Amino acid sequence: MRKLIWRRLALGLLTLWLISLIVFAAVLALPGDAATAILGREATPDRVAALRDQLNLNDSVISQYLQWIGGVLTGSFGESAATQQPVSELLSERVGNSLFLVLVASAVAIPLSIALGVWMAMRRDRAVDHVASTTTLVLAALPEFVIGIGLVLLFATSVFHWFPAVSLLAPGQRAWEVPDVVVLPAATLVLAVTPYISRIMRGSTIEVLESEYVTMARLKGLSERTVIWRHAVPNAIVPAIQVAALQLAWMAGGIVVVEFVFSYPGIGAALVDAVANQDMPVVQTVTMLAAGVYVLMNLIADLATILVTPKLRTAAR
Amino acid sequence: MTTDPRLEWLDDPVTRRQVLRGALGGAVVLGAGGVLGACGGDDNGGGGGGGGGTPAESGGKLKTGGLLRVGATGGGAKDTIDAHRPTADTDIMRCWNLYECLAVRTPDFSKLEMLVAESIESGKTTKEWDIRLKQGVTFHNGKPVTADDVIFSIRRIMDPKDPKVGAASIGYIAEKKLKKLDDRTVRVTLEFANAAFPDDIGQYFNAIVPTDYDPENPVGTGPFKYVSFTPGQQSEFEKYADYHEDGKPYVDKLTIIGFPSVTARVNALLGGQVDAIDNLPAAQLQSVKSNPNLRVISSKTGAWQPFTMRVDQAPFDDVRVRQAFRLIVDREQMVQQVLSGEGRIANDLYAPYDPAYADDLPQREQDLEQAKSLLKQAGREGLSVELVTAEVFQGIVEAAQVFAQQAKGAGVDVKVRKVDSGTFYGDNYLKWTFAQDFWATRVYLTQVAQGDLPESPFNETHWKDPKFVDLIQQARAEVDEGKRADILHEAQEMQYEQGGYIIQYFSNIIDAHSAKLGGFVEAKCGFPFGNYWFKNIGFLA
Repeated sequence: MRKLIWRRLALGLLTLWLISLIVFAAVLALPGDAATAILGREATPDRVAALRDQLNLNDSVISQYLQWIGGVLTGSFGESAATQQPVSELLSERVGNSLFLVLVASAVAIPLSIALGVWMAMRRDRAVDHVASTTTLVLAALPEFVIGIGLVLLFATSVFHWFPAVSLLAPGQRAWEVPDVVVLPAATLVLAVTPYISRIMRGSTIEVLESEYVTMARLKGLSERTVIWRHAVPNAIVPAIQVAALQLAWMAGGIVVVEFVFSYPGIGAALVDAVANQDMPVVQTVTMLAAGVYVLMNLIADLATILVTPKLRTAAR
Repeated sequence: MTTDPRLEWLDDPVTRRQVLRGALGGAVVLGAGGVLGACGGDDNGGGGGGGGGTPAESGGKLKTGGLLRVGATGGGAKDTIDAHRPTADTDIMRCWNLYECLAVRTPDFSKLEMLVAESIESGKTTKEWDIRLKQGVTFHNGKPVTADDVIFSIRRIMDPKDPKVGAASIGYIAEKKLKKLDDRTVRVTLEFANAAFPDDIGQYFNAIVPTDYDPENPVGTGPFKYVSFTPGQQSEFEKYADYHEDGKPYVDKLTIIGFPSVTARVNALLGGQVDAIDNLPAAQLQSVKSNPNLRVISSKTGAWQPFTMRVDQAPFDDVRVRQAFRLIVDREQMVQQVLSGEGRIANDLYAPYDPAYADDLPQREQDLEQAKSLLKQAGREGLSVELVTAEVFQGIVEAAQVFAQQAKGAGVDVKVRKVDSGTFYGDNYLKWTFAQDFWATRVYLTQVAQGDLPESPFNETHWKDPKFVDLIQQARAEVDEGKRADILHEAQEMQYEQGGYIIQYFSNIIDAHSAKLGGFVEAKCGFPFGNYWFKNIGFLA
């Protein structure tokens, strides 16, 4: 088990390094550079030249990359091209805000969708199951910005005025100090990931409910509650863990759109902005963070699967 | 994951700059002898309320106090609060309220209002100018503005190692000859005579800052002083109690919040999280208008978004092709389809609010037969050209598409090539054969200096006619306003007949605000909220 973890971590680092190369190449492939992107219409030759000098954009591509990766290895993510501020300083509050958003969303989404999946499985092929299935399918098909705008219309601007339409934070304020601002963005994320997890949970629960040992348990006269939660769910949950982990990993990227819709001050909004500015150090850091979450989530999902599957648990020893 | 194409759908087409850097400028309004007296002429710092517009427009009496929250367009990590580096809408908004320049065009564009300066007067020729400062204007740290601060500010803007935004507007100041005559007077000598100097220096990006200016802890003379600034989020200001215009500003606190997404900006207003927003998209006009708690102000401006034809490159090196292209445009249809009616047709000339604007030239209208015949004469029948466009300003891409449609009527095949803004402002910037651009309201001579002279930083049409240059030089040196207007008329006729711009319309600027606020006026200057002057805005009593 320990060996497996080390191997997977090493592979994860390799993945991150490859991603850093790809992202670096992708940003370079964008037309123009940070100087023209930052100056925009003001990109007169004098000003572009002055800014290029200031940002060291005249260095060779390889030396720019080596500078960046060298910094990362020594624990510094460089300076933002747009603000001249250290990236870590620029992003620290935003990372906290985004993390809080993802945590709130998953704390609601995972239990909710597992319960929903089981509930649907128990009412399989009844009218409520069909309604719930169709609803989740529709939600799954809707892009999250549509869900987000729908929620804003419903709960912030047009019908009810319960929650803020955009997530504004005063300087120095953190998202958890004003939990109001998290409600709608988190609800959007919940609605975006719940369909996937609940549908897989429904499917695997149905499968388990049809198995012989469940029939046996019922024949023994166990209460339906015990049958479901003690016998069926622990076995049905394995595929759901995998999907839930994938959804959490997706959230690391999905928040980009949601944060943009709500002007939520997190790393997603920072990434959109950094790409527009071709601000290499910020783009690199944010994608590294997102990719890191992805790698980590997959690792956790595999470990969790092993832990809840006795066969695998003993084999991996 | 990082480049979700769906973001484009949401994105404001104008993250880069809704409002151009431009703005005010130009001269021509100088009285005989080039004397620009202080408005109101009183030295005691009153300023007489200037041309800031009367609050009557939106009705009701204003009370003092309160927090004003404004949603601005765009905003991100590259936001700046540096007086001399404003690029995006949020930056420009901060600049107008935190700092002030020597003088500035009033929102109605009728005159140059003196702010920090008491007067900007020329000597015998328009090559030498004396800037006299108002008495009693102080920086937010209490220090009075002196001649040294003016000289420092001009040098900081022009710094050849790090030219600021305004360097292109006042680059012709002979920097070495800047001279302090006394504590309140600076003599400026120019490289050449230029009657437009007061308007050139009187632009928001040429603010006066103190000699010990530190952008980390910014100090200016504006109506609001600095409290905090978080790039990409918000900036906070509070009323400057010693502001040199009595009774202003009305509100105690001002918060400026940037919104990269137009949807979020409008939602913030609808949800009551901000009190006012700028640049409301025409598509949202009805939904905001129908809300009883909100008000909309649509201002007719001199802002223009031209098609730019390079006069030194085929096929546009033939003047007949340029004339044909100008005849292709159905201007009224453009205004309706692209601006949803929020604009006015134009006549291939800019600076409509300049007193010397040639409004007597006949309005050019679509004439496809004439266009075809001109193209035939030029041997360019069945012409096919590429039009390079990018979403750098509201409506530009749509205008390109409408133009391509209209060109079919004259048998011209216009291929619209939409690129991202990085490409647009990349290596080919200002070199495209046929492209588009956007400009703010300016007066004529200042606009010419920006885009129509051989040395202009933004000469995108490559218009370098020696006769035109000669006319402009004459006009700059001419101190008599009437004579100058005649010369400028001749210059405009040249542009009207041969120029490389197609100027199809002047677009409106639409702002929206809570009904609780007053003091808004329709403005011509091309800036939201009439010069972004929140000093004139207050809560209704």
